[in-house]
Amino acid sequence: MHILIVEDDETARAYLAKALREAGHTVDVAGDGMEGLHMASSTALDLAIVDRMLPKLDGLALIQSLRATGRKTPVLILSALGEVDDRITGLRAGGDDYLTKPYHMAELLARVDALGRRGESSGSDSIAKLRVADLELDRMTRRVTRGGKKIELTAREFQLLEYLMRHSGQVVTRTMLLEGVWDYHFDPQTNVIDVHISRLRHAIDKDFDKALLHTVRGAGYSLREEE
Amino acid sequence: MSGNRRSLGVLATSRFRIAIVYSIVFSLGAALLLSIVYLAVSNVVDSGTDNLIEAEVQGLREQYRVLSRDDFIELIEQRSQAQDVRGAVYLLVDPQNRPVAGNVPQWPQGADAQGADAQGKWLEFVVSVPFGDETRDHEMRARRFVLPGGYRMLVGHDVQERHNVKHLMFQGLIVAVVLTLLLGLGGGLWMGRRILAQAGAVSAVAQQIMRGDLSQRLPVRNTDDEFDALAREINGMLEKIEQLTLGMRTVLDSAAHDLRTPLNRLQSRAESGMAALPVSSPAHHVLEQVSVEVDRMRGTLDALLRIALAETGTVARESVDLSELVTSMVELYAPVSEERGIAFSSGIAAGAVIQGSRQLLAQALANLLDNAIKFTPAGGSIAVALRVPPDGAEVSVSDNGPGIPADKRELVLGRRVRLDEARNLPGSGLGLSLVAAVTKLHGAELMLDDASPGLNVTIKFLSA
Repeated sequence: MHILIVEDDETARAYLAKALREAGHTVDVAGDGMEGLHMASSTALDLAIVDRMLPKLDGLALIQSLRATGRKTPVLILSALGEVDDRITGLRAGGDDYLTKPYHMAELLARVDALGRRGESSGSDSIAKLRVADLELDRMTRRVTRGGKKIELTAREFQLLEYLMRHSGQVVTRTMLLEGVWDYHFDPQTNVIDVHISRLRHAIDKDFDKALLHTVRGAGYSLREEE
Repeated sequence: MSGNRRSLGVLATSRFRIAIVYSIVFSLGAALLLSIVYLAVSNVVDSGTDNLIEAEVQGLREQYRVLSRDDFIELIEQRSQAQDVRGAVYLLVDPQNRPVAGNVPQWPQGADAQGADAQGKWLEFVVSVPFGDETRDHEMRARRFVLPGGYRMLVGHDVQERHNVKHLMFQGLIVAVVLTLLLGLGGGLWMGRRILAQAGAVSAVAQQIMRGDLSQRLPVRNTDDEFDALAREINGMLEKIEQLTLGMRTVLDSAAHDLRTPLNRLQSRAESGMAALPVSSPAHHVLEQVSVEVDRMRGTLDALLRIALAETGTVARESVDLSELVTSMVELYAPVSEERGIAFSSGIAAGAVIQGSRQLLAQALANLLDNAIKFTPAGGSIAVALRVPPDGAEVSVSDNGPGIPADKRELVLGRRVRLDEARNLPGSGLGLSLVAAVTKLHGAELMLDDASPGLNVTIKFLSA
């Protein structure tokens, strides 16, 4: 992916650029809001990572100006502010995702992948049937089968599986699941998500040879068919 | 919802009460004033006629003494003819009650008192008087007296006009009082509406401010009256509150920024270092510890910022379906609880909606559930309930763990005390402090009780 980083903190910018390049992305960097807006408007980008507080032009103003020119480039907002309201303001300004500092690089990379995927296949939300290997989920009938065998899930397990299937092949973090499936934005002290994942895993993987739901150490989970 | 209806009812009744009191006082004043005028006027009119009759009686008595009887009869006849019956009435009767002279055909009924005691009394009777082609009954007021020789004399005056005037005045008085009452009622309603409109405006603005919109101000109508002066003073106060609160948020934001930025660099450096080192190396291990500490600091910072934010009261409010929120939190936490061998039960009433911050409420509930799970041993139980008493909604989380001793309950809620003291208590003291701050932000009440054994935490929301 072609990614633009707009971040005034030099150290954070350098580490971020390095990590994204190592993950195989093409990276441009900008140190202030004006430069960032200029680069975002003149280059064909797959994603922009924008710090909220920037010199010359504020991060939110940058996103608003970008959206005003009709650009739909996915934007991940990085914020060093408190977050309860700021997340809402950020997303309302046109941001697509919001991450508070300090973040784990794994969390950021997972979100970058999810946003990039959303950008290239924005139609995936409307597909009625999702399929990973022999696992099938029908959104209309709310029916899940694996190898033709029906799998009984609770409403929440269904949502959880749907989220994982929409991001199949990618790493999905616990925070992303809590946000995407439960719409909560906090870090629980207990491993609530792990327990839900283990129940889902029990339902979809237990009676089959090949496991589809994998734990990615230090990052989260991934639903994929392993070769 | 019901709260709104209730306050409208109160407005309506107190407006009505002001109007009633206003108009009653107003009308009582008017009635008193008019009654005095009425009494004074009728007194003047009455005593005028009475004096006239008394003078005439006095005059005739003297004439009778000087004149012969025939001359006296002549005099009465003359006077009777000179006067229309509507002016004065005269009647002289002989001892056999036969009329001798005068303009009244006969001695009035029931007025034939012979005794001397009748002399000083006033007599009222009705006489038919010609009025165009017909006759009308007129009220007469008369004095009678006995003349020497057994003759009796009646001297009176037509008081019909006087009665008419008094009657008219009385009617006028009633109309005036009724009109005053209506005017007073209208004026009172108008005044009441004016006063209560101002009170309503203050109340509406206060509610919006309580919801976190600090930019609200009272309307000033530029009439330079007391209401305007009051509104200006309140607005000045609100201005100050807004400045202070915004100042506090700016400080919070700067503090957040200045702490998160170096923590972020630290985390990036640690992670980047770990990536370059073999997992088994001691340096990798050290960096991993650093990363864990950064996470812990982030957790504490997040909690502190949320507490501070909740305490500034500037968090945006929305309509929160508490029933849905509690159901979803229970559904999120029940599996963890069961996994650890703790029985989890819940009873959630439907339809509890409050104004507030869904994320902060969720965080508060999560803290309570995290605590309950942390402190309840395997084999224990946790119960979550949402009740909807008529005046609000009540969320409670109870466990049968060790609980909190009564003398330490205040301690875990108070932030200043906690920062020093609660660190020594098991678990992070910030969890309950955040619950306390979020509860306060929502105007709710937080109660910690002994579940004997265990802890029962209740948040009582009042209906908005």
